[in-house]
Amino acid sequence: MRRLLAFAVLTALAGAAWPQAWPSKPLRLVVPYAAGGPIDISARLLASRLQEPLGQPVVVENRPGAGGNIGVDLIAKGPADGYALVMSAIATLAINPSLYPSLPYDPLKDLRHVTLLVQVPNVLIVANDVPATSVRELIELARARPGKLDFGSGSTGSTGHLAGEMFKMMTGTYMVHIPYKGSAPALADLMAGRVQLMFDNLASALPSVKSEKVRALAVTTQTRSGFLPQLPTLEESGLKGFDMTTWWGVSAAAKTPQPVVDRLSAEILKAMDAPDFRERLRAMGSEPPAIRTPDQFAAFVAAELKTYTELVKRSGAKAD
Amino acid sequence: MEGMFGNLAIGFAEVFKLQAVTVAGIAMTLPFNILMCLIGCLLGTLIGVLPGIGPVATIAMLLPVTFNLSPIAALIMLAGIYYGAQYGGSTTAILVNLPGESSSVVTCLDGYQMARRGRAGPALATAAIGSFFAGTVATLVVAMFAPPLAEVALKFGPAEYFSLMVLGLVAAVVLAHGSLIKAIAMVILGLLLGLVGTDVNSGVLRFAFGLSELADGIGFVTVAMGMFGICEIIANLEQKEKREVFTSKVGKLMPGKEDFKRMVAPILRGTVLGSCLGILPGGGALLASFGAYTLEKKVSKYSHEFGKGAIEGVAAPESANNAGAQTSFIPLLTLGIPSNAVMALMIGAMMIQGIAPGPQVMTERPQLFWGMIASMWVGNLMLVILNLPLIGMWIKLLTVPYRYLYPSILLFMAIGVFSISNQPFDCFLMACFGLLGYVCVKLGCEPAPMILGFILGPLMEENLRRAMLLSRGDPWVFVSPSKPISMGFLIAAVALLVIIALPALRKKRQEVFVEET
Repeated sequence: MRRLLAFAVLTALAGAAWPQAWPSKPLRLVVPYAAGGPIDISARLLASRLQEPLGQPVVVENRPGAGGNIGVDLIAKGPADGYALVMSAIATLAINPSLYPSLPYDPLKDLRHVTLLVQVPNVLIVANDVPATSVRELIELARARPGKLDFGSGSTGSTGHLAGEMFKMMTGTYMVHIPYKGSAPALADLMAGRVQLMFDNLASALPSVKSEKVRALAVTTQTRSGFLPQLPTLEESGLKGFDMTTWWGVSAAAKTPQPVVDRLSAEILKAMDAPDFRERLRAMGSEPPAIRTPDQFAAFVAAELKTYTELVKRSGAKAD
Repeated sequence: MEGMFGNLAIGFAEVFKLQAVTVAGIAMTLPFNILMCLIGCLLGTLIGVLPGIGPVATIAMLLPVTFNLSPIAALIMLAGIYYGAQYGGSTTAILVNLPGESSSVVTCLDGYQMARRGRAGPALATAAIGSFFAGTVATLVVAMFAPPLAEVALKFGPAEYFSLMVLGLVAAVVLAHGSLIKAIAMVILGLLLGLVGTDVNSGVLRFAFGLSELADGIGFVTVAMGMFGICEIIANLEQKEKREVFTSKVGKLMPGKEDFKRMVAPILRGTVLGSCLGILPGGGALLASFGAYTLEKKVSKYSHEFGKGAIEGVAAPESANNAGAQTSFIPLLTLGIPSNAVMALMIGAMMIQGIAPGPQVMTERPQLFWGMIASMWVGNLMLVILNLPLIGMWIKLLTVPYRYLYPSILLFMAIGVFSISNQPFDCFLMACFGLLGYVCVKLGCEPAPMILGFILGPLMEENLRRAMLLSRGDPWVFVSPSKPISMGFLIAAVALLVIIALPALRKKRQEVFVEET
């Protein structure tokens, strides 16, 4: 009943703001990847929670292709009426602009960033037969055997790859990058000791760490993770300023009206603050992000874009 | 042994457990888990029958629904969809030459020919019986040997996978029953098509003509639907008067005594091969049905009937792919490594439920682990019970006049292909492959070897380059004594090549002027 009341009040408010009362038709939430990944799962979760407060169905639509660029471009170039949203992510907003020279959209000018949904730390994991038990020892090992260590990643240009490149840059070591198709096969080769280390996102690495199939050395974020509190950060281990999370959120076309953006942001935050929804996101390794308003999110995207443009350039990774 | 039966007992108790549930406001006690299993199997069969709509999309769509279920009920239902789709996929492959899944491509070869000769009933029944037997055995394998088998899976690195794929490709040539040269040409065409898309190592877009729609490569479903489904429809249009409908020759529903006798050995061999290959997370299960068919064609005394409706050509691959579908749960359950897209989704479902997949599941949540394994067997039983009576209905479908049946199939195919990535481009691409398929038929080139090349090509390239990266460019890794598995596969590939080439060469000398029709 209370929900219903809140809903009535909200629609009344919404009606006051716009004569044509957004939303008056179903919304589409484009997932620029194939069905089934963590971004897709969280999008479906979110869509099912937005339905009730918005009073309209939110339809999840998978538009995979070109590392997510196709789906994001669709929304960036689409009508800015607030009915088309996209799951934007570190890849499409911060990494791809420098990875793909001919990216069809500008991640800052063509999109209005609404809410940051998930932030997952990456974890530095090593194979069990690697003698190093701390980041310091790993750096020593890499220095002693330049070019002998391999690090796996889910793909060229993934956060796992770039974290490895950042590690190489900051420590002045040389290791060979072995790209896989997704982090699962990379993890399998890590368990078997065919590659020696890997930066994997916390959610996918956690089960293997807990069952001691691989050994975690550090997290890539500035603060320790609640999932593995005993694990130091890379910064604590001597790599000053090492800060990397995998993140994704919801964006819309740049010219989406401000009231619509505000309403969307409010509803998404409300959904995210519900304890059971928060629990689902936690299961993906995400702590609730500190970034909450659309403007904070936009500033965050701009900062990340700058960091990764630099990093991609220095790593020499390229696609097209 | 004792322990295993105890564990399975826990599992079955979990599956059949009565639970108090509230449905539509009415509180009642139901065996809820088994109901979920039934729903999963039904849904799976349905999407398997609908061309192009695969288990991945279905499971992804149903994930939010499963959040409200208990973890065991959710996983039982999702697993049911997965193997249900395997059953359903073979139905369309047999009836209308439409493989909905990579595993049912091989079933098309002889299954559809059986249907054309009025033996759709026995073909469907063989598929169901073979799948059930294989599912039973594979479930037992999972229950007994999952942990040690997971260790075997870890022994397979890039070099081993590459050599396995080489063996698979050589075997692909055997799939064809016509000219050897044409089969090789088709395999290579498939390999080339598989190269389209983003290069794994550098991330560079290759052979895509600047089309971003091709950035992720050409979809398997698109190719298979075009080369088999559309091509079949075009080929049928050719016959002005007697367009192929099977109205008059539906024949018996059940396999006869002779059929049963002939299917036993292929089912056994298919089950063994499928169970083994299913364990490998890097595409092993894909090879299961192809491998089983090839093996059968080489060892069967009816090998001359292959491609013309041999019951062995249905029994072996169907058993193999179902066995593989079950054992592909092993890397998931014991290592937390998904072996295909569906398994990756299952991991997603588990994590959302707060379960970290991996070996600790077995010890920490035995009810869940063994319940799921027990449910696999129950699900397989359900599918066979569901499907055998349905055969009559499916066959009725064939009596629908051509002018209604085929346009609707065309429509369903278009919807299915479109639904994968929501772009019309894929439908056009499917049509192009239909035309290509028709040209191939006219030239006497068979699509099956091409499809296998297409599936294996990218995997093979990926693993070749990864192995070379890891060895820093030393090609001897594939045959080094430290990699006996890889060496073994390559030796087997060479041996198979010789076996294939010898009779063909001899035949060439004898019948220089006789072209295969």
